[in-house]
Amino acid sequence: MKDLEAGSADTRTRSLTGKRVLHALAAASLLGVAGCAGTAPSPGSEPAGEAASSAPAEAPASSAAPEASAGAEPTEAAPAASDQTYEDGEFTQVGSYVSPGGTEEIGVTLTLKKDVVTAVTTEPMPSNPTAKLYQERFSGGIQGEIVGKKLDELKVDKVAGSSLTSGGFAEATDLIKSEAKL
Amino acid sequence: MAVGGSFSFEAIGTRWQIDTAAPLEPGVRAAISGLVEDYDALYSRFRPDSAVAALAAGGGRLELPAHGAALGRLYRMLYRLTDGSMSPLVGSVLEHSGYDAHYSFIPKGPPAPARAWDATLDWEGPVVTASRPVTLDVGAAGKGQLVDLVGGLLTGAGHTEFLVDASGDMLHSGTTALTVGLEHPYDPTRAIGTVQLHGRALCASASNRRSWGDGLHHVVDARTGTSVSTVVATWVLAADTMTADALATALFLAEPDVLAGEFAFDFVQVFSDGHARFSPTLNGALFTP
Repeated sequence: MKDLEAGSADTRTRSLTGKRVLHALAAASLLGVAGCAGTAPSPGSEPAGEAASSAPAEAPASSAAPEASAGAEPTEAAPAASDQTYEDGEFTQVGSYVSPGGTEEIGVTLTLKKDVVTAVTTEPMPSNPTAKLYQERFSGGIQGEIVGKKLDELKVDKVAGSSLTSGGFAEATDLIKSEAKL
Repeated sequence: MAVGGSFSFEAIGTRWQIDTAAPLEPGVRAAISGLVEDYDALYSRFRPDSAVAALAAGGGRLELPAHGAALGRLYRMLYRLTDGSMSPLVGSVLEHSGYDAHYSFIPKGPPAPARAWDATLDWEGPVVTASRPVTLDVGAAGKGQLVDLVGGLLTGAGHTEFLVDASGDMLHSGTTALTVGLEHPYDPTRAIGTVQLHGRALCASASNRRSWGDGLHHVVDARTGTSVSTVVATWVLAADTMTADALATALFLAEPDVLAGEFAFDFVQVFSDGHARFSPTLNGALFTP
């Protein structure tokens, strides 16, 4: 998390010099739920039956980070450099959204190439990881680590839920847009 | 279900879509719109002319329609099972946190606990009596109850196959099960699993969820006034939407086994460190690496 905060302070990270920040984000990736070890409740606060959850942050990253690519690679000839609106490179910003416990933050890194977003990584950064003790006995199943699959690739009739961070994501991408503008 | 009728509208701060196998008659549509409008006029914290706004201004006695009795019983039960964490008096906490009718988002001080139910509120049958001004907040179950009321209206009009979907809080009726994706709490383009929805209700809750006039559904612990951040998302399947909606919130505040003593339901809980728990009878799948 320190890396990320540092990265957000000097908000722009160029592709050659910014591996540190990108790596910090990629390690958490879109599955930051599973990966953000620094903010996870301390293992001691939960019963042994759930300790399987403390998977290393790197584990989900390798499988998930490549999938994080949201942008389609341009298939048409890219515009000439002089027509570009945005600078090429990797840009990191932190957006915020309001939760009941106060303002929460999300880290967003976009890779821009010829005005096309070629990669997106996000890292939720819950600022308020209140540890809560859960009782020992629990009759249901435990899944140590869950991952997201692209909805496009699933055959579902409906979707239930509400993503936490859409507001914060939009804020971070707006900041990146204004910074990467040539 | 082949969709014969589809009816979409915005109400109580969320998008509604109603699909029916048989065409939806104009009269039924009008009845649904009226039902939703009446419910909003009753409970919205964000309308100065609502019944709960009157209660917030001066306390006193409020006679709800008959369905208010079931809502009160459910809240009372969950107030007990969550040791006071889940309360219709949480509205004052939300306002204190800056989540008020003016959307100020400016906390009015450190988190403050809600008033104890017994000292403030009497909810007997459909009659609510408040000994002082209180902000009554039914956001944790109200949308679900409204989905049930809409479903009842459809059933009463002879519809047997339908899906009422109030942005993810949904009630299904019919012979064919639906496959529903469980949206990733941090990424709306992904799902963390799927469940089969067949002849019952499914509701979801996330820790910064916004619904009901863009606000009533936030999960706040009424005892301490602070938010609960360990559980980041929940889903509940139950026979009715009001119960599923309320339990989706309660699963942020109480253990599943405690709730299972009083309610029949299936659930999924996702925690901030990425692990999940689910009921043994869950008909669905969670995705693993």
